[in-house]
Amino acid sequence: MSEFLAYIETGEKRYRERFGLDFEQFAAGQKFKHRPGLTLSQQDSRDECLDTINAQMLHFDEQFAAHTEWKRCLMDSTLTTKVVMGMTWKTFAKRVKLLGFDEITLTKPVFGGDTLYAESEILEKADAAGKARAGRLKVRTVGLNQKGEVVAKLVYGLLVARAGQDDYTRHNY
Amino acid sequence: MDKLASHVEVAPGVFLERMGLFFEDVEVGETFEHRPGKTFTIEESLRHTLRALDQSPMLTDLNFHDQCEAGAWIINPLHVLAVLTGMMTKTFSRIVANLAWEKVEFHEPVRDGDTVYAESTVLEKRGSKSRPGQGIIRVRTTARTHHGRLVCTFERQILIYGRGQGPYEAAGY
Repeated sequence: MSEFLAYIETGEKRYRERFGLDFEQFAAGQKFKHRPGLTLSQQDSRDECLDTINAQMLHFDEQFAAHTEWKRCLMDSTLTTKVVMGMTWKTFAKRVKLLGFDEITLTKPVFGGDTLYAESEILEKADAAGKARAGRLKVRTVGLNQKGEVVAKLVYGLLVARAGQDDYTRHNY
Repeated sequence: MDKLASHVEVAPGVFLERMGLFFEDVEVGETFEHRPGKTFTIEESLRHTLRALDQSPMLTDLNFHDQCEAGAWIINPLHVLAVLTGMMTKTFSRIVANLAWEKVEFHEPVRDGDTVYAESTVLEKRGSKSRPGQGIIRVRTTARTHHGRLVCTFERQILIYGRGQGPYEAAGY
């Protein structure tokens, strides 16, 4: 039986879905494998570029990309970053704030058709100065492709809500 | 060719649009103001959040979000980082690969309806030993809203082509 529950029992034979661990449930050294993964297409990358006024034609002009060492369009790395972080939400749903990234390193190119998965490790856990209702985590999340190769490495700080006394309980989460 | 030229005269009276600085064109200490700015809406933040598989209530449930500690609707900071990166692509478009973001800090949240402008200062440049004709530059980017509120700062390391290098001429750029 897991110590982490997917439901809150709100009544007899009544369950509410719950996501995200409370700050108290995290510990340095824990590792999480996030599911599901997501297969990205070249169209996803084009959409990301158009939405973010990204003028780098390496992401959307196949003819140009054919003349580069990559030979085809590269995935826009801002989309890779968003997806790798987004895939972690079921573990980190109670984040109150994204404090910032120490680093986001892109270690391998991603192409349309690749499938990404995310894995995270808790590096540090600490009280947050002036915050009674949340604590601070330092997390390393890596993005992996379908071959298990690391394509992105992200190290960042989060504020995560403590159990019970948080906004989530008040709003029926 | 003047590094600031917007067009190349490819035949008498025929002008090809050009964009972006080569490694030799960039000097440490130069600052580039990126245009256009971008107005963020909560709808686009929601769409990008969901498309990254993220369903955190903090970013997707506006009823919850409006009433909790963070206050009125904020734009997903990862989408802000993506747009700021997109804004840089007209000056820093001669890119071989995006290597990393570092020291990413989110100062004040971007809120629904805010317009954000960014500028980038060149901190360092060095030629690549393993890739002749290419070099690595480090830039620091600062983003403010139209009210002048500081929202995000970060540094990036970018591998860029030197003059005469890259696929541009062969690809018709």
